[in-house]
Amino acid sequence: MKFRLERDVIADAVAWTARTLPTRPSMPMLAGLLIEATDQQLMLSSFDFEVSGRVLVNADVMEPGRVLVSGRLLADISRLLPAAPVTISVEGSRVEVTCGRSSFTLPTLPVDDYPSLPDMPGSSGTVPGSVFAHAVAQVAIAAGRDDTLPTLTGVRVEILDNTITLAATDRYRLAVREFPWTPANTSLDVQALVPARTLADTAKSLAGCDEVHLALAASGASDGLMGFEGDGRRTTTRLLDGEFPKYRALLPSESATTATVDTAALVEAVKRVSLVAERNTPVRLMFADGEVELRAGTGDEAQANESLECSVDGAAIEIAFNPQYLQDGLSALDDATTHLSFTTATRPAVLTGGSQASSPSYRYLLMPVRLSS
Amino acid sequence: MTNPAEDVFGELIGQDAVVAQLRAAAADAPAARAGQPSTAMTHAWLITGPPGSGRSTAALALATALVCPTGGCGTCEECMLVRHSSHADVEHVIPEGVDYLRAEADALMHSAALAPTRSLWHVFVLEDADRLTEVVGNSMLKSIEEPTPGTVWILCAPSAQDVLPTIRSRCRHVTLATPSTTAVAAGLVSSLGVDPAMASFAARASQGHIGRARALATDEAARLRRQDVLRIPLQLGDLGSCLALAADLVETVNADAAAMCDPLDAREDAALRAVYGDGAQGKGLGTVERRAKGAFKDMQERHKRRRRRVVRDQLDRAIVDLIGFYRDVLVIQLGAHTELVNAEMRPQIERVASASQPPETLLRVDALERTRNLLAANVPALLAFESLTVTLKDPSLASSGAVRRDRVTG
Repeated sequence: MKFRLERDVIADAVAWTARTLPTRPSMPMLAGLLIEATDQQLMLSSFDFEVSGRVLVNADVMEPGRVLVSGRLLADISRLLPAAPVTISVEGSRVEVTCGRSSFTLPTLPVDDYPSLPDMPGSSGTVPGSVFAHAVAQVAIAAGRDDTLPTLTGVRVEILDNTITLAATDRYRLAVREFPWTPANTSLDVQALVPARTLADTAKSLAGCDEVHLALAASGASDGLMGFEGDGRRTTTRLLDGEFPKYRALLPSESATTATVDTAALVEAVKRVSLVAERNTPVRLMFADGEVELRAGTGDEAQANESLECSVDGAAIEIAFNPQYLQDGLSALDDATTHLSFTTATRPAVLTGGSQASSPSYRYLLMPVRLSS
Repeated sequence: MTNPAEDVFGELIGQDAVVAQLRAAAADAPAARAGQPSTAMTHAWLITGPPGSGRSTAALALATALVCPTGGCGTCEECMLVRHSSHADVEHVIPEGVDYLRAEADALMHSAALAPTRSLWHVFVLEDADRLTEVVGNSMLKSIEEPTPGTVWILCAPSAQDVLPTIRSRCRHVTLATPSTTAVAAGLVSSLGVDPAMASFAARASQGHIGRARALATDEAARLRRQDVLRIPLQLGDLGSCLALAADLVETVNADAAAMCDPLDAREDAALRAVYGDGAQGKGLGTVERRAKGAFKDMQERHKRRRRRVVRDQLDRAIVDLIGFYRDVLVIQLGAHTELVNAEMRPQIERVASASQPPETLLRVDALERTRNLLAANVPALLAFESLTVTLKDPSLASSGAVRRDRVTG
C-alpha cells in the first residue's frame, strides 16, 4: 500500500476517526485504525461495537492496500507533521510516514480479525450541520448520566415528515427541541433513542458540514443503529432499547405567572447567589412587581441576595431551583432574553427563548425544589 | 473439534436434557422477540453445574443459537463471529479477578441497554456469576429482571446456592449433570483422538470435569502434578514432613501459575504495546508507556488478579484430587462395589484404607472441605495447607479442637 496526500487532509481525517477510539478497549484490536486505499480514495475506519466512524478522502494512491495501525499513535504522528505532502507506505510489517524531512515508522496490527463496520440504515434526510449540532447540544444537556437508568441516558429522536423533535430528561429537567429537516422521502414516522454522549460528540464533530445526512431505519425494521454522514465522514451508533417517558404530557398547557428577564443578567446573578448555596441546596426566586429577587443560603450559614429587573405578568410566585440545572437551561436557550412560565411553586417551570415566546422551538422544563418553609 | 454435521449444541457432552431445553428456547426465540408469548424462551438464564460440566459451553451455545439465523448451525458468519469473540451482539464476560468489579457492572448496564445490531438479540454471557458480590450484583437486578426487549442474560455458576438469591430468583434455572465417565471418555476419543485407555483414565481422574479431563489426557505435566498431589497422603510422616509437603505443594502451584500466566501476560503486554504503537520511530513521539499509561495500569491490575485466581483454582484442584483419593479409601473401607477414581493407585489406596477407620477418613474429607473454605476466605495458602497436612496425618486433631475451625463462609 502506498499513497500521498496533503498534511491537513490526513491530519483532520485521522483526528476525526480516532476521536471515538476506546481509551480502554475490550479487545486490543479495537484501538486500531483501519486504513484502506483504493482507486484514488482513502478510507479510515474505527469501530468499538458501539460507535463506528469512517472517513473518505481523496488521495494519490500509488498502490492499493489495507492495513490496521494504532489509532492513537497515528493521531499523535499526524499532529506532529510539518506542512508538506505526506506519503504513507507499508514496508513489510511496518508503516512508514514521510512528510518533508521528517519520517516516522509504526508497526501494523493483524487486520484479519478486525470486525466489519455496520452499514448505514435505510431511510434518511438532511439538515445543516450547524442547526443539528446546536439542537443536539441544547437537548443533550438534560440527559441523565446514570447507567442504571439507561433509557434516560439517551436522546429521544422523533421524525415526523419534515420535523425532527429531540427530547431528553434526567427526571429533574426535560429539554425538547424541534427543527425542520429535508427528508429524502416524505411520510416518515420513526422514533429512536440515541445515547446522548455519542449523539452530542457526533453532532459537534459534524457541525461544520453544510449538510448532515441522518439515517434511521423506517418503523418496523430493527437494525438498532442510527447513522450520520457529512463531508465524507460517517458515524453509526447503536441505539438504546427501551421506553422513553411520555414527555409531552409533562409540558404544562397553561400558566399562572409568566416573566421575561435578561438572560445574561440572570445567569450572572444565579452564579453569584449560588456561591453560598451548598451542594444540593436550592436558589430561591421571588417574582413580583417588576423584579425578581434571588436568595440562597440558610439562616445560620452564609446568605446571598440579589434582585433584577424583570417583567412579571400574573400572580407573584416564589419558587426554588437547583442552581446548576437553572444555569444549564438558561445557557442552552441561547437567547438574549428568557421567558419563564409557572403554574405553582411545586409544578415544573418552563424556560423558553424570549425572542420566540409565541411558538418556541426549544423548551426547557425544570422541576422546582420543594421548599420546606 | 466436533463433527461439522452437528450444530453448536454438539459440543455439550452428556447433557441431553439440557440440550433439548436450550434447543427449544432457540427455536422459540424469534417468535418471542416478535412479542408472542413463549414458554421455552426467556430473557434471563442461570446455567449451573459442577466445574467442568460445560457451563460456559452451554451458555455460548445458547448465545450462538440466538444470534444465528438458523438456530446455531455452527458454520455461518454469525456463528464464526461468536466463536472468535467478535460478534457485536454477543458479549462474553469472564471475570479475571476473584470478584466482579463495580466498573465492570456499570459498563455492562450501559451495553445491556443497547439494541442488537445484526441479530434479533443482544446476548450477555456472564461466567462465574457466583463472583457477583451483593453490591455489584444488586446494581444489575433491574436489568436482569426486566431487560430491554432484545437483551438476554445467560449467567453461569457452579450451583444456584452460590448465586445471590436476588439474582437467582430472576433467572430460569438450567442444571447440567456431572457427565458420566463413559460420556467424557467417548468425548475425548472423538474430539481429540486420544487413545481409549488414556481417555478412560483421564475421564475417571477428572471426576467429570471435561476441561480437566482434556488437560490430563493431553498434558504429561498435568498428569505428573496430579501424581505429586496424590502422593501426599502416602508421605505424611512427622510434623516436619507434613509442613514440608504443604510447602512443596504451595510452591509448585505458584510455579505452575507463573508458568501459565507469564506467557499469557507477556503476550497481552506485547499486544497492548503493539496497539499503542511500540517500536514506532520518529522525532517527537512520546514513549509507548506514556501513550498507554492507563491501559498498562489496567492490564497489570488484570494480570495480578488473574494470577491470584489461577493460584486459587489450582489449589482447589489439588483439594478435589485429594478428596477423590479419600473417597476411594472410603469405598474400599466400606467394601462398596463401585469404580475407583484412582484405579491405578489401588494398592496404595488399600494400604491407607487398612491403616485407618471410616470415621477418620470422613474427618480427613472434612478437613479438605474446610481448607477449601479457608482459601475462599483468603487465608494464606501455606497456612491453610499446613493445617491440612497436619490434620490429614492425625484427624483426631480436628475433633480435639486444636485445628478445628468452624466453616468460614465467604
